[in-house]
Formats: sequence, C-alpha cells, structure tokens
Amino acid sequence: MTKHVVLVVEDDSVMLGVLTLALRNQGYQVVPAGTGRAALAEVNLRPPDAMILDLGLPDIDGFEVASAVRGRYELPIIVLSARDGEEDQIRALDTGANDYVTKPFREGELMARVRAALRRPIPLSERREICVADLRIDCLERTVRVREQEVTLTRTEFDLLYLLAKNANQVVSHRQLLREVWGTRGAEDVHYLRVYMRNLRQKIEEDPADPRRIVTALGVGYRLAAFEDEDTL
Amino acid sequence: MRSRLRQLSAYGIASVVVALSTAIAYAAEPYSELGDLAVVHLLAIVLLATKFSLRVSVFACFLSILSLDFVFIPPRFEFAWTDAKGGLTFVAMMVVACVISSLTERLRREKQVARDAAVRAEALFQLHVDLSTATDDRQLEAITSRHLEHLLSAKVTILLGAPEVWSRVGTSEADLRLAEKAWARRELISEAEPGNASTWIPLIGLNEELGVIGVFSNELLASDPTRTFFLSACANQFVSAVERVRLANAVHRTQLEAEGERLRNSLLSAVSHDLKTPLTSIIAAGQTYLSGISHASDVQRGLVATMVGEGERLHRLINNLLSLARLESPIIELRKTTEAVDEIVLASIARLRSPTGEQRIVLRMDSDLPLVRVEPLLLEQVLLNLVENAKRYAGSNAQIQIHAKAVNGVLAIQVSDDGPGIAEDELDKVFEKFYRGRSAGKADGGVGLGLTICRAIIRAHGGRIWIQPRHGGGTVVEFTLPAAEGLALDKLDEDKLAS
Repeated sequence: MTKHVVLVVEDDSVMLGVLTLALRNQGYQVVPAGTGRAALAEVNLRPPDAMILDLGLPDIDGFEVASAVRGRYELPIIVLSARDGEEDQIRALDTGANDYVTKPFREGELMARVRAALRRPIPLSERREICVADLRIDCLERTVRVREQEVTLTRTEFDLLYLLAKNANQVVSHRQLLREVWGTRGAEDVHYLRVYMRNLRQKIEEDPADPRRIVTALGVGYRLAAFEDEDTL
Repeated sequence: MRSRLRQLSAYGIASVVVALSTAIAYAAEPYSELGDLAVVHLLAIVLLATKFSLRVSVFACFLSILSLDFVFIPPRFEFAWTDAKGGLTFVAMMVVACVISSLTERLRREKQVARDAAVRAEALFQLHVDLSTATDDRQLEAITSRHLEHLLSAKVTILLGAPEVWSRVGTSEADLRLAEKAWARRELISEAEPGNASTWIPLIGLNEELGVIGVFSNELLASDPTRTFFLSACANQFVSAVERVRLANAVHRTQLEAEGERLRNSLLSAVSHDLKTPLTSIIAAGQTYLSGISHASDVQRGLVATMVGEGERLHRLINNLLSLARLESPIIELRKTTEAVDEIVLASIARLRSPTGEQRIVLRMDSDLPLVRVEPLLLEQVLLNLVENAKRYAGSNAQIQIHAKAVNGVLAIQVSDDGPGIAEDELDKVFEKFYRGRSAGKADGGVGLGLTICRAIIRAHGGRIWIQPRHGGGTVVEFTLPAAEGLALDKLDEDKLAS
C-alpha cells in the first residue's frame, strides 16, 4: 500500500517540524511548505492526498491558498486556526476548506481529522443510498434507517441530515445549512437550526443527552461524525 | 450735571454768535437793506441749528429778532414795533430755524443709534473672538462676565449647571431664589429696589439648561430693551461657546479612548500570538511523543504528559487573561449568536475529556431549556473554568455535576461538587481578582482569575453568578442567562404537517 501524501503548510518552522514528525509517525509521507506560494507550487507539481493549512502565512493568506486549490483540485483541506477565530473558520469553510482544527490541538484530534479526510468517499451525489456509521439514508425514497430501525423525519430534518451526511466528517457552517436547507434564511435565523438539530438528535442519536453522531462545532456549525472509534471530539 | 453745563454753554455760545452777527450787520448797515441784515442773522441761526438742539435754535432766533428790532428797525435802539415791516422775515427765520434744527436733531439721534449698534456689534464680535480661545467652562465664564461687566457697567454672576450644584457663595438667598425661578421658567426674571436691580437670564442649550447669568445694576435692565436684547445675545454666545467646548472635549476624549483601545487590542493580539505559537508547538510535540514513541518508559511518559498538561493549562491561563482584558475594556463587542446551551455544555465537556483519564462529570439537562444569545466560546470558557475550579478544590475523586434548567424563563446552570466546600466568609471574595481560596494548595498553579473571568463574562451577557455551599457538603456555583427574545419559528408547524 502506497503512503498517503500530506502537504503541510505552516510558517512557524518549529510547528512545521512537529507536524511533520507527528504525521510521519503515523505513516504518512509529508511534504512541508513554509509559504503559500511554495504550497501552491507543490500542489501544481504533484497534488497531495490531503493538505493541512495554517491560515496565517507570510506571503498569501491561507484563505486565498484554499480557494486557489479548491478551484482546481478535490483534495481535502484541513485548516489550522486559533481557538477564538470562529470567523476565520467559517470563512475558511466557505472558501473551500473541508475541516478545521483549532490550536492548540490535540495530536489525536488532528490525526482523526486527517484520517477522516482521507477516508472520505468522494462521489456521493450519484449514489442512491448514503451510509454513515449506523445511519442509512435513502436519497430517492427520502427515508432514514437508524441502527436498522426506520425513523420518521420531517422534510426539513431530512434535508439537514442529508446535507450533513453528504459532507460527513466535515464541518458544515451554519450559513451553509441555513442557505441550502431553507434557501432564504440568513445567519440571523440560526435559532431554527438549534431547534431542528435538537429534534433531529432526539430521533437519530442513541443517547440524545450525549450526542455522538451530530457534533457541535461551537460558533461555526455542525459535523456528522462517521467513525465511532476515533471521532468523539 | 455735565449735560446741564453743556446746555448752558450752548445758550452762551448761541448768545455770542447772535451778538457777533449783530455786530457784522451793524457794520454792514450803510450798504444794506433790512432783508440783507436779516440774512446775516439767518446764517448764524442755521449754523447754530446744525450744532445745537431745537431749543437753542429757537432761543437764538428770538435773540436775533430782538436784536434786529432793537438795533435796526426804527425807532432804533428801542423795543418798539411800529409797523409790520420785517414781520415776514422774522416768521421765515423762525421756520428755518425750527426745520433745520429738528432735521439735524433727528440725524444726530440716528447717528447715535447707529453708533450704539456698531459698538454692540463690535462688543459681541470681541466676545466671540475671546470665547473662541477658551478651552474650558471656567475660562468661558471669566471672559463672559468680564465683557458683560464692562459693557453693561454692572456686576455679573454666572451660575453653571443645575441649581443643586450652584455655588452659594457671593450670592444672596433672595437672588438665588430669583435665579432658580429664571432656571425653572426658562425666561428672564428681574426685580428692582431703589438703586439696586437684579436680572437673571437662563442659559438654554440645545438639549438642556446650562445655567443662569445674573446682572446687578443701579437701574433696572429690563427697562432698556436694547440692553436686555444685548444681554440675551451675549448669553446666547456664551451658551454656544460652552456647548462647543464641551462637544470638542467629548470628541477629544472619545478619540483618546478609541486610540487607547486600538493600542490595547493590537498589544493583546500580538502578545497572545507570540505566547501561544510556541506553546502550541510544545503541546503538539509532547503529544506526538506520547502517541508515537512506543519504547518510552513510564517515567518518560509521565514527564512528557506533565509537560503537555501544564502547557494546556498555561494556554487556558493566557486565554483567561486575554478574555479579562477584552471584557474590561470600555468598548466591548460580544459576538453573540443564538445558542442552545446544552450544545455548549456538551462541547465543553468533550474538550475536558483528556486522553489519560476521565473526570466524573454528571450532566443533567432539562428538556425545556430556552435558547440564549451568547458568544459561544465565552460561555464555554465559563464552564471550563468552573469545572477546573471544582476539580482543583474538590479533589480529583470528587463528583462534578452540571445541571441546566429553566427558571421563570431564565436559563440557570449549576456546577456543583461534593468536595470539602467553601467557608462562609469566603463566598463574596472568591470572585475578586487574584483571590485564591484558603484550601487551595500553594503549588497547584492557580492564580485566582477563573471566577473573576466567569463573573465578567456572565455580567457582560446580562446574567448573574453566585456561589453557595451545597446541601450535603461541597460547593455550588450557579449562573443565570436571560433567554433569547423575539425568536419566531414561522415554518415549524407547517413543516410538521408536511411530513
């Protein structure tokens, strides 16, 4: 089995060294890049399987790198950002990033994200049925089975779950959910999301009081966690 | 007295002039007729009329007629009137004298009025110029009272602000009562006793009354409309100058604050970036060691785990300091969104689950929790601090419970532990900055900011936080947050029907 290639873009050389070591330790082949330009050159030369991108770069900012890569390639992008940078995280997701990890991250958390990104099945849109962990979503019949039990979802609940499942393991921002499910709702209507998510969790979580399936990304959005074993964070 | 003297001298001059013209006429008599002689007198009268009042002119006219009659009309050197000869001339002289002198008198009056107006305009302008150099209320007061005292020849007192703050020194009780009346009625009030009159004019600004000006003079100011008008013009100048100065000072203060705020923010973000970057590397390196180096001994693992744990705590401490700095700044802007509190509690707990061992945290969340408007990461910080505190003071074996409930439409969250509890006299102090509970060990690394931060965050969100002993041992920290208002879910029911 060939090693997955992960491009790491980080301007702080110490951090770049630590990330490189950590990823190599997990059996990935690492391509380090210290600037946005170097990263873009690297992507064009040989597209990696995934990319870890720090947002604060000295030359071009991380958002531009993300959108430039997204314009041409499908590869998953995981953004590194400050804990209190919800706006950055939302913007990164909107400009093409698939996921984000906040600093200081736990090594295990980052590795879980990388694994999830690499395992992500790509062509979901053509498939009739999406299976995420113990959920089976029939896109034509618009039915959902949870642990082999059919559950009844309202139209809106189904749309929310479907959107999260299509982007399993990625954070879907509030804005994206409101726009794609309701069409007309803006960020000020985030309370709809809160109420519908509560209902949705009641129906699909094994323990609604401790939801492990739909995970809250504070201040940013929601993530449907697909891999029980490693994605509890 | 002086004007009286001037009047007398005017009559004197008139007499001399008439005498002179009589002398000239006498000298010219051999070559002239009576009409010519009258013309000489007429000239003298015209001259006098342009210079002196109507009375003086009429007086000069009579004098001339008498002298003409006495000297030239036969019988000469006798006051006798034998025929009507010269009568018409006399009448003409009288009419000319009256007309010219009343005309000149009117001119003179208009000139005086114009000159007074010019003097006032000049004075107002000078006041304006002087006021524009002042930079505070005190200077404005001094300039205005100096000008007014000079221009109205009166004593002037300016009382700024509402009656409660007026200086009582130097103003009699009766005058203060008048001043309060002027303030309350927003109109000019005056009162006169013989030789002692006072006038109070309110200073009415754009939004509020600024104070009153009092003028004390011998005669009543209100009896002279131009002076009253002048006083109110000066008062208006003063009012606009005060408002200008106050506005300028306010703008200046705001600019200073904004500048200070900008500096503080850039300093904070620089410090936070420079401290956090190496810390992040240290934590990541330690964790990589723990997960990747399989042949490390337990001692080595333990040491590195301590590094990681302490690094994370240092990071939380930096975050606490940064949040405190942010919340204490005069201009805070919270990035509030509508949140379900159970989600935030769960996300916080998820962050506390350490890879090495799980603290026992029991969650109890009621089903009817209202949504709240909060900045999610700040609320998370509150929860993390409270749980960390509970761990520190109640010991690692203590059971920590988080209970979220709705009380009268307000969200209330309790974080309780079953540790040794807190002394009664410490209940109020624990929220103070850098206060550390007596049961805190010397070496536990706490700095006493956790609860201070919690209080600052909860207050910024319009809630309350307090601490109390738990029933049956331990401590309870409880905080409230107001429920989000005005959230309508217009499509909820329709959606339920559609399914």
